[in-house]
Amino acid sequence: MSSLRKARTGLIFFPAFDWAISPTHPEREERLLYTRDQIFEEGLMDLPEIEEYKPRLAEMKDIARTHFCVPDVESQVTQAHLIAAGSTLTLADALEKGEIRNGFALVRPPGHHSMRVVHGNRGFCNINNMAILVEYLRTKYSHKRIAVVDTDVHHGDGTQEIFWHDPNVLCISFHQDGRTLYPGTGSVNEMGGPQALGRTLNIPLPPGTTDEGIHYVLDNLILPILAEFKPDLVLNSAGQDNHYTDPLANMRFSANGYARLNEKLAPDICVLEGGYAVETALPYVNTGIIQAMAGLDYSHVKEPDYVPGRFVQTDEMWREIKKTVGQVQKIWDDRDELVKDALQGLGDFYRRKKRVFYDTDMINENQEEVVRLCSNCAGFITISSSAQRGYGILNTAFCVSLPRGACSSCREDAKEEYEEHVDDRRIGYVYMQDKDRDKFKFCNNMTHTQRGY
Amino acid sequence: MLIGIDVGGTTTDAVLVDGGSVTKTAYVPTDHDDLLKCLLGALDELVKGVDTSKIERVVLSTTLITNMIAEGKTDPVALVLIPGPGTNPKDYSLGEAIILDGAIDFRGKEIERLNESQIKDAASKISGQGFSRVAVVGKFCQRNHAHELKVGEIMARAMPEAEIELGHRVSGQLNFPRRAATTMLTVATKDKYREFAEAVARALKHRKISSPVYILKADGGTLPLDKSVQMPVETIFSGPAASIMGVLALTTPGQTSVVVDIGGTTTDLALILSGKPLLSSKGAQVGSLLTQVRAFAVKSVAIGGDSVINVAGGCLAIGPHRNGPPLCMGGTGPTPTDALRVLGLSSIGDGAKAKKAMQDVADKLGCSSLEAAQSVVDAVVDRIVFEVNEMFQEWEQEPAYRIWEIVKKERLLAQSVIGVGGGAPALVPLVAARLGAASIVPEYAPVANAIGAAVARPTLTLNLHIDTERNEYIVAEEGLIGKVTDKKMTTEYAERLAKRLLAERAERLGIGEYAGEAEVTYSEVFNMIRGWTTVGRLLDIRMEIPAGLLPSWGPC
Repeated sequence: MSSLRKARTGLIFFPAFDWAISPTHPEREERLLYTRDQIFEEGLMDLPEIEEYKPRLAEMKDIARTHFCVPDVESQVTQAHLIAAGSTLTLADALEKGEIRNGFALVRPPGHHSMRVVHGNRGFCNINNMAILVEYLRTKYSHKRIAVVDTDVHHGDGTQEIFWHDPNVLCISFHQDGRTLYPGTGSVNEMGGPQALGRTLNIPLPPGTTDEGIHYVLDNLILPILAEFKPDLVLNSAGQDNHYTDPLANMRFSANGYARLNEKLAPDICVLEGGYAVETALPYVNTGIIQAMAGLDYSHVKEPDYVPGRFVQTDEMWREIKKTVGQVQKIWDDRDELVKDALQGLGDFYRRKKRVFYDTDMINENQEEVVRLCSNCAGFITISSSAQRGYGILNTAFCVSLPRGACSSCREDAKEEYEEHVDDRRIGYVYMQDKDRDKFKFCNNMTHTQRGY
Repeated sequence: MLIGIDVGGTTTDAVLVDGGSVTKTAYVPTDHDDLLKCLLGALDELVKGVDTSKIERVVLSTTLITNMIAEGKTDPVALVLIPGPGTNPKDYSLGEAIILDGAIDFRGKEIERLNESQIKDAASKISGQGFSRVAVVGKFCQRNHAHELKVGEIMARAMPEAEIELGHRVSGQLNFPRRAATTMLTVATKDKYREFAEAVARALKHRKISSPVYILKADGGTLPLDKSVQMPVETIFSGPAASIMGVLALTTPGQTSVVVDIGGTTTDLALILSGKPLLSSKGAQVGSLLTQVRAFAVKSVAIGGDSVINVAGGCLAIGPHRNGPPLCMGGTGPTPTDALRVLGLSSIGDGAKAKKAMQDVADKLGCSSLEAAQSVVDAVVDRIVFEVNEMFQEWEQEPAYRIWEIVKKERLLAQSVIGVGGGAPALVPLVAARLGAASIVPEYAPVANAIGAAVARPTLTLNLHIDTERNEYIVAEEGLIGKVTDKKMTTEYAERLAKRLLAERAERLGIGEYAGEAEVTYSEVFNMIRGWTTVGRLLDIRMEIPAGLLPSWGPC
């Protein structure tokens, strides 16, 4: 305990003051300006409890370990994306070396709407910083069980999709009900693939949910589930748009509520996601989160117009929240049975079709995902994807993902799948992701060139 | 003729510079209880037989403020904070403070009003406790001075005799706790510093030296003595600054080099990157206090020529203390100086005694005295090289907030290692060899500090913050608020405005002739978007006259 107290909180502040989606976009240069002013004026980086780190650029391989970027990683990311993703990796290294006891990547651009296959930007995200961090922690530091708690107001659909079939990554997202907010998903019955049912948990909350409501969910559902799951690490996709002043959402969470949440959740690493009330929320929320993580007193953080008790939930909202908590609790309790039942009705493969819309880049994607249900390993996954931007080019891709600990039969079959699709002129790009060997290759069928990371 | 005097830890050095070269040097031992006497002693020694009417400029660097703070001889100060929302002020190591209601935000908007009766109560409490000096510091007061001014006014009315210092006049940069510490130190040292400055002025007048007198600051710049009484803490650490300026004066310009000042118990290290001395990024640390005083980044390593040598478990341990002089110079135990003597790298002291010292070490290590001496010197060089590499690494790892800063930051390697101080001639070549750099020990290395003082030019910083939505610009240190009408002010216009304001500030501080040397060292502009429209721009410009040498200094 004494050594824990001595270790510091690692902080990477990368506001990307020279990067924007477009000049007036919420994801613009100004977003973390007032946060900069506040945390610099507070002198937080000088406090002995806090250690500031300089971010590094993530490598192409770090991205390819998580994503299938079409046509390649280089065309989907800018340097700002590599720095934001690299920040989380710098903190992971510091954490594993014991230099810090926890860390906060206060960085932009965000990532939690990016899915496994990337054709463009959706929900302000190109690559998923959190998922990249998870895969890095598992590959480099051999962590097995990781919990990701998404506290952004929007459903963390990208992170959910990436770990959908993975029972070792518990994805919990609470968010404003998808029927009232982008991206529209995240209902209770989205609970993971057949092998991982109950390891994706969604808690949709009614618009107007307050500190009380969110802390009810935390205390009565999330914290007990985490205690049962016993993850090696808890990670927080720390969006700040549940705040009562956020211009894009309708919740009633406060800076103090956010700070208290992080104190209770005690995440090993926090990664900033959304949050667009640049003056009225972000400076206060970020200060509060940093203080809570560093074990400092956050009771002096207060928005200028906030008075305790300002927001009250109606009885109806309370009923809805409690009902949702009960439903999710049941899914969690029944998880092993759910998996058993689901697998019984399936053969050697599980297939699903899905459509993904990239709102920022106006791309429509159609996917067919096939998972080998293998009794010896997690089974390999293939994804056929075709995506069209407006009436423009149709990009098609065939992706093969080989899991950690893949059995020899899956390895052989996956290799065959990859090779079968190479030089198939109906498909533009073919990808092979070998997580065991940490090797990633892809082939451009139009130019017959193969490359790897 | 230029005169530079540096009151150092052991000696007070003085030089006379004429026509671009050093024409005379002098020194007296430093008496820490009477710095004025040392200063004048060295001066009198130097100007003996010199026509004092030809003196164009006298620059002093003193340890006055450093000593005052180190010895706890500063005056007691009541600290009054207006912290607003954020950190609990108790989490800052600032000691006792009176906390007032009221708050300003990052945009300079008032978000909580002051409570006048609370301020009056605070004033009577302060005077009741017998304080006659007050530091008033508000969070974001550099973006709006109104609260500090009001509190200062009420306090002044209640305590007409008191010296009251306001935070925004001390620094316009972000960092509330550092600004509070700097403001506190300013008011704590002001009176004693003023007495000293006045005594110096009188003494010079008495000697019929009528040239302007300057003081050297921690950032290697000079400031007229009479103006420096407004900002006494800036003169802290002027000793190392003097040495670094001296190195700049004595070596080829534009190089990347390491300045190694090897003394008896400590070795001071500093970096010159592409000809520019590296500044500590947020300000100097003074004792336990972090301040906003601009200062060269100097790393003090507890190893020197007189460091004590111990052998424990077959391992050498050198320093961090000193047990008196080296054995070869009449001390009691072995030191690195003895090792250098045995290896024939220096000729200081008694060779036989040095050999005895190394034999002691050798017996414990189970080797010959020559081998022991080599091990000692290797260990000292290892340590210095390690610390130098750390400094470069820390510089490379300094956080950056823009893509281009992260992507473009180049790696720098030392081209030369420049030695000043007593232990320099023997050790510097060894350090340089390990770093793959050229070894330079300048001809005037022992008085590099005084030369640095003699030929340093003034420095000045101006922080300009412009908020076109609020139609105003603000220069905190000047307490200046101006009107802005152009909502879409360009960076070019803002930089021109900064240049003009800096020239005015330089004029007021008596260094107007150097305003032309000012350069923009930081410039940022943000569009403020509310909804889908631009409602204004925020511009921050920092303009500086950086550290440099007088044009009349011309060797090299």
